[in-house]
Amino acid sequence: MAELVAVAASSHAPLIVRDWPKLPERHKQRLTAAFRSLGARMAAARPDVIVVVSPDHWINFFIDNLPSICIGVGEAHEGPPEPFLKDFPWRPVPGHAALANHIYATALAQEFEPSVSHRMTLDHGFCIPLWRMELNKLPRIVPFVVNTLEPPMPRVSRCLAWGKLLRAAIASYPGNERVAVLATGGLSHSIGEPTMGAIDERFDRDCIAAFRAGAEGPLVAFLEAGMQGAGNGSHECRNWIVAHGAAGSRGFDLVDYVAVPEVYVGCGFATWNVGGRQVRAA
Amino acid sequence: MRDYWLSKLFFDVQHNAADYRADRAKFLARYPVKPELAAALLADDVGVLARHVNPYLLRFYFAASGMKDDEFIRRLKASAPAESAPAEAAPGGGHG
Repeated sequence: MAELVAVAASSHAPLIVRDWPKLPERHKQRLTAAFRSLGARMAAARPDVIVVVSPDHWINFFIDNLPSICIGVGEAHEGPPEPFLKDFPWRPVPGHAALANHIYATALAQEFEPSVSHRMTLDHGFCIPLWRMELNKLPRIVPFVVNTLEPPMPRVSRCLAWGKLLRAAIASYPGNERVAVLATGGLSHSIGEPTMGAIDERFDRDCIAAFRAGAEGPLVAFLEAGMQGAGNGSHECRNWIVAHGAAGSRGFDLVDYVAVPEVYVGCGFATWNVGGRQVRAA
Repeated sequence: MRDYWLSKLFFDVQHNAADYRADRAKFLARYPVKPELAAALLADDVGVLARHVNPYLLRFYFAASGMKDDEFIRRLKASAPAESAPAEAAPGGGHG
């Protein structure tokens, strides 16, 4: 059977790439160290596949067809279309159709109804963390899109349930693959709103504390209430709670948190204990 | 409340920014955008347009159409109702 070998989360602010030369050196160093730490932990876990949980930033989907959850079930996916990601090194992005379809089938059997895509275009939400983690080789990717941009969005409790379903699906997959889950986005930020540029550090710190405490009920309640006032980008914390559910709702370990006004985002980086062990860099 | 055709225009401009910048009126003619919203587009009226589209699409549209971040944010803040205006936002420029 497949094995869940790592669970992680990372912010994906586009300006981390687009405006990198303009960032203060102290922020460059913190961000670089955080991405490298995640990359080292991921490399130590030796995943064959990474299920990447991210929003779609109006690339694949529009308001005429807007899935709540979409699983990329194709053999390959397109790389990022954003001009500032033209140097993204892995195109096309290798998929894992068999595992993706197993996740989909497991979901249907448990009365979850995701959408599917046989060829998805993976934007900065997927590709910036994968790129900046500096992996030598990109494992196969199963894209897992959560709508965190446009209401109606899935409830936080449903996202937690999706994480648990991912955990069960990986455990029941009849293959020897080593599988990681990487959630991207968050923490607080505001895009295209009058509050654009604001970072809610108190929300971010409380959010981190709630993940660290791990208890599902208080975490779900905190996010349902707190995301309403922490900028529309904070809704990407739904991806983090998918990861939390996949990790068994325990073992959260903060890699770093740094509020970076120049990229508009309270940037968070974390891993979770999986199966009673914390994956550390070799 | 989302305006479908305005949203569709913004969605499409992301992938055709050069065409839009080259001839905005010609591009706009492909979409049955309401006259008052077409006027707001030609005037780069961030506040009016913000009421009819997703905030991310609004941000991507103005980035693709060439407005600098600082100016976009300035106009966003100026458009906010007094009771909901942000107390303070972080400095800098860009998007997230």
